[in-house]
Amino acid sequence: MKKFVMIHDENLCIGCQACSVACKNENQIPSGVFRVQVHAKMSGVFPNLKTDFTRASCVMCEDSPCVSVCPTGASFKLANGITLIDEKLCVSCKYCVLACPYNARFVNPITKAIDKCTFCYPNRKGATPACVSVCPTDALIFGDINDSNSEINKVLASKSVEYPKAHLGTKPKLGFIKNTKGGRYE
Amino acid sequence: MKRRDFLKSSAFLGSLACIKPVLSANAFTNGDRKSVFSVCEMCSTRCPIEVSVKDNKGVFINGNPKFSANKTSVCARGGAGINQLYDKNRLIKPLIRVGKRGENKWREASWDEALNLVATKLNEIKEKHGAKSVIFTSKAGESHTHMSNFACAYGSPNIFSHYSSCPITYNMVLEHTYGGGLSRDFANAKYIVNFGHNLFEGIVISDAKKLAKFAASSDTKLLVLEPRFSVVAAKADEWLPIKPGTDVAFLMALIHVWLRDEKYDKDFVKEYCIGLDELKASVKDTSPKWQENITGISAKTIERIADEIYKAAPKVVIDWGHKTTTTHAEYQRTRAIAIANALMGNYEKKGGIHTSKNASNLNKIIGENIFPTLDNPSNVFKVPNTPRIDGAGEEGSKNYFVSRKHGVLMDIAPAILSEKPYPIKAWVNTRFNHLVNVANVNESLKAIEKLDFIVSIDVYLNDFSNLADVVLPESSYLERDESILGVGNGYYMRNKAVEVIGDTKSGFDIFKELASIMKIDELYTYKTIDEYRMQQAKGNVDLLANLKKDGVVTYKVPSLYLREPKIIKEFAKTYPQIKDKIDSNGELSSLISFKTPSKKIELFIEKVEKLFPAHGSLNMVDYDVFNGHEFCLTSGKTPIHTNAHTQNIPILNELMSESPVWINESKAKELGLKDGDIVYLENEFGKIQVKLMLTQGIRPDTLFIYHGFGRVTPALKNIHEVGANDSILLGSKSGHICSTMVTNIGVDIKRV
Repeated sequence: MKKFVMIHDENLCIGCQACSVACKNENQIPSGVFRVQVHAKMSGVFPNLKTDFTRASCVMCEDSPCVSVCPTGASFKLANGITLIDEKLCVSCKYCVLACPYNARFVNPITKAIDKCTFCYPNRKGATPACVSVCPTDALIFGDINDSNSEINKVLASKSVEYPKAHLGTKPKLGFIKNTKGGRYE
Repeated sequence: MKRRDFLKSSAFLGSLACIKPVLSANAFTNGDRKSVFSVCEMCSTRCPIEVSVKDNKGVFINGNPKFSANKTSVCARGGAGINQLYDKNRLIKPLIRVGKRGENKWREASWDEALNLVATKLNEIKEKHGAKSVIFTSKAGESHTHMSNFACAYGSPNIFSHYSSCPITYNMVLEHTYGGGLSRDFANAKYIVNFGHNLFEGIVISDAKKLAKFAASSDTKLLVLEPRFSVVAAKADEWLPIKPGTDVAFLMALIHVWLRDEKYDKDFVKEYCIGLDELKASVKDTSPKWQENITGISAKTIERIADEIYKAAPKVVIDWGHKTTTTHAEYQRTRAIAIANALMGNYEKKGGIHTSKNASNLNKIIGENIFPTLDNPSNVFKVPNTPRIDGAGEEGSKNYFVSRKHGVLMDIAPAILSEKPYPIKAWVNTRFNHLVNVANVNESLKAIEKLDFIVSIDVYLNDFSNLADVVLPESSYLERDESILGVGNGYYMRNKAVEVIGDTKSGFDIFKELASIMKIDELYTYKTIDEYRMQQAKGNVDLLANLKKDGVVTYKVPSLYLREPKIIKEFAKTYPQIKDKIDSNGELSSLISFKTPSKKIELFIEKVEKLFPAHGSLNMVDYDVFNGHEFCLTSGKTPIHTNAHTQNIPILNELMSESPVWINESKAKELGLKDGDIVYLENEFGKIQVKLMLTQGIRPDTLFIYHGFGRVTPALKNIHEVGANDSILLGSKSGHICSTMVTNIGVDIKRV
C-alpha cells in the first residue's frame, strides 16, 4: 500500500510561484483562486532581516477535520493518504472551509464545489504532482513513504522535517524543512 | 470553464474562438497526452521544455527531462506559455493604422496587403533617403538574426539588439580581459561573491538550481552585496547593503588588500596575466579605510572578506552578474570583478571559472572531430560598412568597442531628433518594447513623432507597436519551428507544438517573404526554416531527427578543467588522444589561450588606454548614481514577469498586477509617508506617479521598482497605465567604454 508524502524545503524555495502556475494549468483552476501558493514574509529590522517562504496548500491531514465535518461525504480520504472532494456530492456548505486549520480550501467559482490541492492524484495517479515537477530549485520532494528507496525517505532520514501546526494533532502528510537563512548581520 | 467561453472575440482583434488548433507534426504520443520537446521563449534564457498536448491543445509545460541541467523544471513564466498561446489579447491579424499614431485605431489587413505596403514604403524611403535612414531593432536571439539578415540585404547598417540595455558590459569585459566568454562553476564553488545578480528573481533555471543548492549547503558561503534585501540576499550567508553604484570601490579595496599582503595566486598571475604593475598603481590608494564612506562597509569587514575569499580560492566565483548596470563606471566595476577572479587563480579550476566545453571546443581539445558542429547560413549577410548613427565600431566614436550588429539603443532617439549624423526616416522593430526597456522615454516619444514610417512585429499590441503604422502579428513560440542552437556540450531546437492559431507568421517567414517581395533575397540560400536547419546541420539527418524527437541532444562527456590534473587524468581515460598534451604538472597549459592582443589575461588594457586615456586601468570615473538627488532609484526583475512582455497574461497578471516602489520604512516615516501613499518620483528626465510600499528590506537612501509596468497599451486594458515605467526617469548617457544603459538614477520624492 502506498502512502504519499510531500516535503517543502524552505531553504531551497525562492518563492517564484512556478508551482502555483503549474498547478492552475494542470488542474484548470479559474482565475482568482489557488490550490497552492508560496507566501513570502520578510521580518526583522534593517539590516537584520530574513525572508521565510512557506507553502500554502492542503497538508493532507491523516485525521482531517474537513472530512469529519462534511455532512454529505463529499470530502473523503483514500487509503494512500490523499484527501479528495467528490464534486457531485458537495453542496458547497463551506463547513469544511471553516474547519480546516490550514486555510487550504476555497469555493471553485466555476463548479461552485469546494476545491483544494489533490497532489494531482485524479490526473496523475500518484506520479509526480505538477508543482513538484516544475520547481526550479527542487524545493519540493514527493513520494511513497512505504517505499524504502524513495527520495522522500532519504530526505526524512537526513534532514529535520517539521509539520505545520503539528500541535493540533491532525498529522499532516505535507512537511517542511525550516528556513535557516537570514536574520544575521555583523 | 470552457476554452470556448474564455476565448471571447474582442472588438476588432479578430477571434481565436473559431479557430481549431491542430496537432503539430512534431508530437510524440505519451498516454492520452502527446509530448512535443521544444525551447521556451517566455524570457531570453531559452530553457528546454516539454509541451503536453491533449485533444490538439497545448495543456501543460514543464522542463525537458532529457536535459539534465534543468530536468522537468520550468519557472512561472515558462509554465504560462500555454496561457499566452490562448490569450484573447494576442495579435492574430496584420493591422494597418487608421487613426492618429498611438490612438489604437486600426483596420485588419491580409498578409499580402500588409507586406506589400511595408515593401513599397521601404523601397520609397531607400530611393529617397538611402537604406541607412531605416533603423532596425530586436531583442537578441533568433528574431534578431532574421531581422539582421533582412537589414543587411536591404542595406542599412543601423541594426540594434537589446544588448546595450542588458548584457553588453560583462560580454565586453570578458572579451577585453580574457579574450572571450566564460562560465561560472556555481555547482562546485565553495565561496561565491554576488553583486546583486538576483538569479532567484531573474531566473535562469540551470544557474538558479545550482545557486540554490549552493546557498542551502552548510559548507559554502554566499556573500551578497546589494542595496535591497532581494531573494538572493535572503538566501545569503552574509548580506551587505552596499550603497548603489559603489561596487567598484569595494572591489578596488579588495584588490588593494590582496596585492598589499601578497595574498593572490602569484604563479598564475606570472604565467598568464599582463599589467600587474599598472594594476598595483591603480589600487595603491584604494584602501579599505578609503572606501568606508563611499560604500558604507567597514574597513574591518573588507579585511575579513579579502581573507575569506583568498582562503577559499581557487574554489571561488566572484560573479559578474548579467545585467547589474548600476553606474556609468559599470565597465570598471565589471573589470574589477574580472581581475579579482584572475588574482584568485580560479581560471580553469573546479569551482571557479572556465571556458565553455561545447562541441567545437571539445573537438579542438581532443584534436578530432568527434562531435557534430554547425554551419551558419546567416554568415553571408554582412553589416554594410557605411557609418552608423551611433558610431558603433567606428574609430573616434565613444562606441568604438560596441558590435555593429548590436549597437547602442540609447543613441537612437538623440540621433533622430538632431538628424545627426544623418536623418532617420523609418523604424523596423521586432519583438522589442523600446518605450519600456530603453532610457529616456520622453525623448523616444518625440523622436518617433518625426518618423515617416514604423513597422513592428509583435505578439501583443505593446507600447512600441501601438505607435506603429503597420503591426505584423508573430506566431507565439509554441507555434514556430526554429533553428538549431548550442546548449552546453550539445544542441537544442524549437519545435512547433501546435498548429498556428489565427493569421500569424514566424519572424523567419515574415522577413524572408519581405525580402522576396522586394527582390533583395539573392543572398538567401534557403527558402524555409527546414532548409535553414538542414544547412546548419550540414545535412546531418540523424542530428535533426533527434532534435525533432527529443528537443535536445547532449553528449555524455566527462567534465574537464584545463588546470585540474586529477580531472584531466580521468578525462584521458575516455579520450586518450589528449595524453600527449598533458604537461609534467598534469595540466593542459598548451590548450589555454586568450584571444586578447597580448595573448594573456589583461589586468591592464593597452587598446582601451590608447583610445580612452585612463580607462585601461581601474578607475571610478562617474560612479555616482545620485546626481545630487535624495534617493537612488534602482530596478530589477521579478520571477513572475519578463521585462515588458508578460504583464498582460492573465495567470501572471493575477499573481502580480502592479509594481509599487520599495522605500525604507524608517526613512518614509521620517518624511511623513505612509504605506500605499501615491507620490511623484522626479528628476531632470521626467516624472512618474508611483505607489509606495514601506519595507525594512532596503537602504534608507535607495528606492526599488520591479521593471515592466506603467505601460501605454490601450489594447491591453489590464495593464494600460497601471503602475509606473521607470525608464521615463533614466538618462540617455551611457556608461563609459561599454556604452551600457545605466538603470540606477537619482530621484526626489514629490507630493501629489
